[in-house]
Amino acid sequence: MTIALARPPLARLLRTTRGWLPIAAWAAVAVAFAVTARSGGSVRGADHVLVGGYGGLVLPLLSYAIVGALFGARSLSASIAPLVALGALPARAAAASVLLAMATTALAGLVTAAVVALVAHGSADPPLAGDALESAYAGGLGGAAYAAWFALGASFGRRGGGRALLLVADWLLGSTGSAAALLTPRAHLRNLLGGPAPMDFTQRASAAWLVAIAVACAVLSIRRAHVR
Amino acid sequence: MIAIESVAARRRPLALANLSVEWGAGLHAVLGGYADGGPLLMALVAGLVPVRAGRIRVLGDPPTDAKVRRQVAFVPLDASLPDALRVHEVMSTAAAIRNEPAGDAVRRLESLGVEALAARSVRTLSRDEVRAVALAEALTSAQVRVLLVEEPLVSLDPRAAARLGEALRRRAREGCAVVVTTASMRDATELADDCVILRGGMLAGPPSPVEVVAGQAGGDAPLRIVTREGRALVAALARDASVAAVAGEDGSVLVRGGDVVTLARAVGRAIVETGADVSEMHVERQAAGGVRGGTW
Repeated sequence: MTIALARPPLARLLRTTRGWLPIAAWAAVAVAFAVTARSGGSVRGADHVLVGGYGGLVLPLLSYAIVGALFGARSLSASIAPLVALGALPARAAAASVLLAMATTALAGLVTAAVVALVAHGSADPPLAGDALESAYAGGLGGAAYAAWFALGASFGRRGGGRALLLVADWLLGSTGSAAALLTPRAHLRNLLGGPAPMDFTQRASAAWLVAIAVACAVLSIRRAHVR
Repeated sequence: MIAIESVAARRRPLALANLSVEWGAGLHAVLGGYADGGPLLMALVAGLVPVRAGRIRVLGDPPTDAKVRRQVAFVPLDASLPDALRVHEVMSTAAAIRNEPAGDAVRRLESLGVEALAARSVRTLSRDEVRAVALAEALTSAQVRVLLVEEPLVSLDPRAAARLGEALRRRAREGCAVVVTTASMRDATELADDCVILRGGMLAGPPSPVEVVAGQAGGDAPLRIVTREGRALVAALARDASVAAVAGEDGSVLVRGGDVVTLARAVGRAIVETGADVSEMHVERQAAGGVRGGTW
């Protein structure tokens, strides 16, 4: 049944231009950042692009686009309403959509981070294979956390306007060194990608926080899913 | 099958208060406008709105139970289907959700005469077609035992509208509880085995015969009273101020006035006054160009 519940959001993502075009565009931007760093001869190109353009801009917006496409640019409740009308439990339909969003965004984050690390790799960056693997891991984990973050946002507002609100909150709070930054995916993703650590957290602690943010946001968004 | 006991619920701007009703297998109608809370009652039975007070059981369990939900189909006025799928994919997705074999989508859609929509994308369907597909899914699912339909004959593909009444009655005969909400007395009385009136969120009981007759009328439709004592009845009605025109013809009396309820009451008074033996009273269907057969 879970596969049946995941089918409509997946069809929204794959069958509509509005679904896949922003994703392709943000992936292209990530590659463009990497190519620019490579052609500029940056010795720490991968580090520079992953912490800057990729982690700060591309991955959040890529995740935002994927969640928007899967939910049909509506609130989570509105996007599952047709499935509920066909007999599905709201919580199950919401869980299928949120988990699909997390899996899709994790995959997109994993692939794009690895590609960026490979293309932008400079002479002073860590060894290529290990760096690509670590970047893929950070991109995947960060993508999943962002998907759950935006899914929670999409459970607020008649048209899921909370998604944009959480994008701005992540932007404003995530880059600060305050304790509030700990609640955003951005602060921990930057740490995992080699950027500054929030409150001197280790990378392992940031990874655990990203998992906690992903689980908490996913559970909250599913609990909030009800059909009006 | 559906037991509602002293239930109160609210979903702005609608509210229901102290509502108690039981429905078994059969075709039941709830008569009332949108503001009276019909859509909210349907959403409540479908488990989409929480109960504030009282108790509701559908098939013996709370309507939010997963096992119950699979057996309940709710087709609201603004029905929606998964938008990026094709119609035949919607049917197979619904079958997977309801835990039943998918079956042939074309054959299922044939039940309402909309098999031509099978290959269409849901995005390309009109609102009327979406409702027809949603109804076809609900009507042909072997799992569905409770079918809730809001305004069954409104905003519906004409192919489906012609077959819907019989399809709903067939499901009711097969043992389903079919509940329709409508603001049309005519739809309610023509479709359903029984009918309750919902007014301002409260049940007002079944409609009176006068309300049934009035509800079947459109505008200032005349009433025909079948009686052998037409002459006395015509004389009594002619004296009534609320009657605009009356005529006797061939074993019946045709009477017209502004408001059908007032008219029916006037006829009642005339019957009591004359002691006439009336075998039937109904709203006269108006033919094009005026009232059929009347001399006014």
